[in-house]
Amino acid sequence: MKKTYEVQKDNYEDAGQVSRDIKQILKTLEIDSKVLKRVSIACYEAEINLVIHSDGGIVTLEIDDDGIIYLNFDDVGPGIPNIDLAMTPGYSTASQQAREFGFGAGMGLDNMRNCSTTFHMTSTSNGTHLRMSFQ
Amino acid sequence: MNHVVTCQNSKCLHCIKCLKSCPTDAISIVDNQVIINEDKCIHCDVCIKICSERVLKVHSGHISETLHEHSYNIALIPTSLLSDFRSFEEFQKICQAILRLGFDQLEQYSDIEGFLYKKSLEESNQKDGLWLTSFCPTINELIEKNYPTLYERILPYDYPVEIAARRIRKKYQDRDIGIYSLCECVGKMTLAKKPYGNMDSAIDYALSISHVFPKMNKLKDDIKLPISINKYGIKSNVEDLYGNRSLSVIRVEGLNQSQSLLELIEFDRIHRVNLAAMYACYQGCIGGYYLWSNPFEGSFNIKSMLDQCTSEIIQLDEDEYLFNRQLNHREIKSMKERMAWFTKVNEILESLPQFDCGACGFANCRSLAQAIAEGKVDNLACRVKRR
Repeated sequence: MKKTYEVQKDNYEDAGQVSRDIKQILKTLEIDSKVLKRVSIACYEAEINLVIHSDGGIVTLEIDDDGIIYLNFDDVGPGIPNIDLAMTPGYSTASQQAREFGFGAGMGLDNMRNCSTTFHMTSTSNGTHLRMSFQ
Repeated sequence: MNHVVTCQNSKCLHCIKCLKSCPTDAISIVDNQVIINEDKCIHCDVCIKICSERVLKVHSGHISETLHEHSYNIALIPTSLLSDFRSFEEFQKICQAILRLGFDQLEQYSDIEGFLYKKSLEESNQKDGLWLTSFCPTINELIEKNYPTLYERILPYDYPVEIAARRIRKKYQDRDIGIYSLCECVGKMTLAKKPYGNMDSAIDYALSISHVFPKMNKLKDDIKLPISINKYGIKSNVEDLYGNRSLSVIRVEGLNQSQSLLELIEFDRIHRVNLAAMYACYQGCIGGYYLWSNPFEGSFNIKSMLDQCTSEIIQLDEDEYLFNRQLNHREIKSMKERMAWFTKVNEILESLPQFDCGACGFANCRSLAQAIAEGKVDNLACRVKRR
């Protein structure tokens, strides 16, 4: 199965709705709770990243017949200049304001990589593409 | 399985208020029969409250029918009962009246609540991460059924009322005793019938306070039962230390707010809190459905009695209060079968309006789609499509 969602830039009001819907689908499918936990955390982190840092994008959920879950986050920019640096735990470009809200601790990408089974990310100024799988 | 909430169908209007209000979509109406799915029901009180015809009930036993079954009968009274009285003396008078209903002994368990309350504050502070407390049966069922990833975060304590009942059983093991639990809420009524983890309850009968109140009120006079209450037991019922910033403890009340917190915990968004005490009702147990004062007034009442609460806190051994919770293992089909089922339901769902109006007798279009897929109802059930 496959389902896509749109995430808007700076829309804090609805931030998290996509992750909630995905989590609900996985619960309906009775996905193992340990996997569910990892997907939930990574999905929420990535969705919030799209809201805070990107110019908006598309989230795609895919589940194959073996129960492997794929999450794709494809935004339209502005891109991450240095992915290796961005992956460093503690590194953050979030504003002071975002940090005061409890976001932007600089652990997001590292957290996603730890939660996912495979993690693949590419980025140009035209957009960042992240694909994670979970099993 | 024992149904806790039942519908006395004769007066039911099949109006769908109950199924639309249910927080877990546990209710459906098929062929003018209200069906409560025990696998989904968390035994809150929402449907009972919303029913205009008052046909949804929790069966409360009649003591006149059961008191003779045992030679010695003990009633357990909840601490939150205090909230319905303006003074501690009034409470002691009502306790004497409860005895006169035909009980041989009255027991309270505020000392056990107080012990577990202090224990939960200490333990959550020593352990890593966020812990959830377990005094509200409805919240525990909510986590078990809807937030399985958080199940292991519930502090492994048994319910105070169950611990109290077990201690009584042990103390009177040579006697033929009957243990009654007077309940302030639907969740606690459930506990006596179907305790957590499908273990046997030490409680024999559950009675709702409102069911016995008219009788005990008539039996009340100026004689007071010298019963004492532990102040930490009261503190576990009112917010008090839950909220002390140095302890990183929060108290969350109401099903909606509890669900929203659990969502955030599942996304790993709550980092500064060590312990979340959650209650389905406002003001915790004081907001129980079978108590009659407004929960905020009740909380005021109970706090005013703190100075008169003199009993000592109890010290329990680990084997008395620890309880290893395990999720009931359900048989799960293969991923392929689950996917096929999900796809089938989704296809039917796509053909439905997805207004979630409930007119068909199901809480939402997804539930109807499932029922159609199972062959329980036919395609024509949707009234919006037929209009």
